[in-house]
Amino acid sequence: MGVSKRLGNIYRFAGLNVEMSPQYPTLLQRSAPYRVDGDVGADIRILPPTGGVEALRDAAPHPADVDLARLDDVNEYLYYGGVFYRALLHFDGMLLHASAVAYDGKAYLFSAPSGTGKSTHTQEWVRALPGAFILNDDKPALRLVDGTVYACGTPFSGSSPLSVNVMLPVGGVCVLERGDVNEIRSISASEALPWVYGQTTKQVDAPEGELLLDVLERVLGAVRLWRLRCGIGREAMECSFSAMVGKRSE
Amino acid sequence: MRAKEGFVYKQMHGTGVVVPVGETSREFRGMVTLNETGSFLWERMQVEVTREELVRALTEEYDTDAETAGKDVDAFAAKLREAGLLAE
Repeated sequence: MGVSKRLGNIYRFAGLNVEMSPQYPTLLQRSAPYRVDGDVGADIRILPPTGGVEALRDAAPHPADVDLARLDDVNEYLYYGGVFYRALLHFDGMLLHASAVAYDGKAYLFSAPSGTGKSTHTQEWVRALPGAFILNDDKPALRLVDGTVYACGTPFSGSSPLSVNVMLPVGGVCVLERGDVNEIRSISASEALPWVYGQTTKQVDAPEGELLLDVLERVLGAVRLWRLRCGIGREAMECSFSAMVGKRSE
Repeated sequence: MRAKEGFVYKQMHGTGVVVPVGETSREFRGMVTLNETGSFLWERMQVEVTREELVRALTEEYDTDAETAGKDVDAFAAKLREAGLLAE
């Protein structure tokens, strides 16, 4: 952070200049739209792991016949994402594991554990609402700027390639659960806290842990929070949309 | 007794919040929330402290008698032990 001598490329996202040198296809492709040229300093510098990305092969169990090139590709992508989202804590920001949909100049985030149907839900917004698009389908960055929380596209969006390099004020954050009926209600910061903590960076050192709790407190105090139980389809979308945006879709 | 190391604590939106950091954050993934008494005791248990000292601290801070405070301390210590948050 605040480093002078340039070693890698500069990518700009979440309002920050991030220096890194991707080697493998996934991160190369996903980060390309964020690349900036010219003599700009880095806010965050991400160095390769000690021993290179290849040294991460044995960090988690994998089958003996795994495609090593593919494993390195995934490991690089996950490693750089992890480092970026920990560094983000130093810039009034945090990861939220969510699908973020942009509509009418604001971002609406649906957060839940993997497999709950976040993306399925936001796709209904995109289908129903002219101009709506996915800001980041899995790992939007949140940043506090002058008391406003912004959702930001980043090269890191999980298995989905859907992420756009924009920063939009957050219109609402919704924790999502599957249910038989569609119902949404406004919730307090205290009720949202364990949910949101469950969907952000958790492997942190002590100073980062202090930063995380500080950022969490301020983010939860500055956005509207919701809890949605829903099925799949247009009616589920109407339920969240009418509450969070405050009108009916066309 | 004392609280286990490897956690950070913050008072947030009216709730005491404890989360794991460092090596602890690799195995202990949850967040623990504490009520007012729990927060009060947790902060005092960041150093080695006896049951009697905690009971006295409670009776000095709150309108409670030693017997009730003793039960509160025992219950809290049991809760911490169960959650793996008590240094043994």
